[in-house]
Amino acid sequence: MININNLSRSFGTLKAVDKISFSIKDSEILGFLGPNGAGKTTTLRMLVGYLQPSSGSIELDGKSIFADPIATSRQIGYLPEQNPLYDDMTVSEALAYLASLRGMKEALFRERREFVVQNCGLADVLHQRIGTLSKGYRQRTGFAQAILHDPRILILDEPTSGLDPNQIMEIRDLIRTLGKEKMVILSSHIMQEVQALCDRVVIINKGRIIVDDLKDNLGNYMDKSAMLYLEVEGEGIDFSEFIVKHPQMEIAVNATDDTHCKLSLNLPADSDVRQELARFVNEKGWLILEMRTEKQSLEQIFHQLTGDSVLTLDEEDPIQETLIEEQP
Amino acid sequence: MKAIWIIAKKEYQLAMRSVATYIVLTLFLVITGLFFSNVVFKIGLAELRTLFGIMHVIFIFYIPAITMGSIARERQSGTLELLSTLPIKLSSIVWGKILACLMQLKTLIFFTLVFLAIIAIFGEGIDYGAVICGYLGLILAGTAYISIGVFASSIPSNQILAFVLALVISAFFYVWKFVLAFVPMGLMRQVQYLSFDSHLESFLKGVVDTRDILFFLAVTVVFALLAEFNLQSRNMMQER
Repeated sequence: MININNLSRSFGTLKAVDKISFSIKDSEILGFLGPNGAGKTTTLRMLVGYLQPSSGSIELDGKSIFADPIATSRQIGYLPEQNPLYDDMTVSEALAYLASLRGMKEALFRERREFVVQNCGLADVLHQRIGTLSKGYRQRTGFAQAILHDPRILILDEPTSGLDPNQIMEIRDLIRTLGKEKMVILSSHIMQEVQALCDRVVIINKGRIIVDDLKDNLGNYMDKSAMLYLEVEGEGIDFSEFIVKHPQMEIAVNATDDTHCKLSLNLPADSDVRQELARFVNEKGWLILEMRTEKQSLEQIFHQLTGDSVLTLDEEDPIQETLIEEQP
Repeated sequence: MKAIWIIAKKEYQLAMRSVATYIVLTLFLVITGLFFSNVVFKIGLAELRTLFGIMHVIFIFYIPAITMGSIARERQSGTLELLSTLPIKLSSIVWGKILACLMQLKTLIFFTLVFLAIIAIFGEGIDYGAVICGYLGLILAGTAYISIGVFASSIPSNQILAFVLALVISAFFYVWKFVLAFVPMGLMRQVQYLSFDSHLESFLKGVVDTRDILFFLAVTVVFALLAEFNLQSRNMMQER
């Protein structure tokens, strides 16, 4: 059990983390979500003892982690955002080096090495120099280094960034398996990833916690309304009549040229104006090129909560579709 | 203690695998060899004392070259973050790096025994005591320079910058002897105390003075502590 209380950290005048408090239970996967620069990495660095907090406390089983940093670090496996690899060493050498620095006994090391090599799929590259490995293998090596000593707590800073969809699936499966018995804290800026893996989600923005809730409750933050998009073609397009009839809806009309017009409107949960709108367009003798509704996605909730405009479509989860199949 | 040895062993093994190490080593031997043959064949003096003096000067360039990457490279590749979160002390990291460089220095010194062999063959009556003293002095001074280099390497994440910084600090201690000319007589002893050369001088004469040994060890420890302090404070100042 980790308790974080009023944790703050500033760099000069910048408050990277501002009085955050949350706790993590054993065998729980906690997703730590936020846009870039929200303070995720800073918080994780304080959790592993790499960075001193400006104020506040971090307690592991009721004891401050800074009271005995060496004892704390034995229990933590940490994969930083910048994957810490020794390019000049082979994978097996790097594992042996870290094991000896952690004071692991030879027999235990062999057993654990077998485990990580198998689970991280490193058997083929065990005797290759790390510098020659592909990004995916490098990430897996970093992961292997973090779980080598069978830590009770696993702290992963954006573990899947830069991987291809298949590799992401593999790493996620591994995290899911490990999360059954370990405390896992995972940071990400991808909502779907957190959705797919975590039991609980903490959303942080500009150093403050915005949401701290179970994953299943995230729906409550969702706006039930939907957006309706319409594209029409015709002579003398004018929606003012329709707009006057529905004053409660936010309607935006965007005419591209004389004969084309795009319309978007906010559809409240209880009303559906699609038929009416279709009839209206039909009566005017225009043609509907496209009409679609969009429910608010998780990305948008995230977007709304963090007020971050940087998050665009290309940041979306690359394996979104696979996940949808997975969860019926 | 054990961690120091593990880090040193790994660093040394990796260094011995790198081509750059051998290039620098060859360069060192070629330069010292040139000076040595000059003394032996042109002047006809079969002695090692001049050679030791030259080795001291070359150390000021050679040692920053082997220490520059020690911590800076770890910082650059992010492995410092891993090392700092392992269950080891920060001082173990610093001393491990110093020990690794010292092992490299000893390897280099081992090869200069060739010069000793040549003198043993051609010269008459070598004072082995003085030779051993000279080597001891060089290794002690070398350790102090290594400590300076590791400290310099703990500041930037750029290796070249670390090299220049180490060179500047090392050169300061070397060049200090030239300041003596401008110092009033009364302050001579105190000012002279900072010069590496004056401490090394007695070793080269074949005199082992505890004060000289303590001086080099003290410089080593001070810079190692500064490096450790630097790692600690940099942790706190680390940017996001």
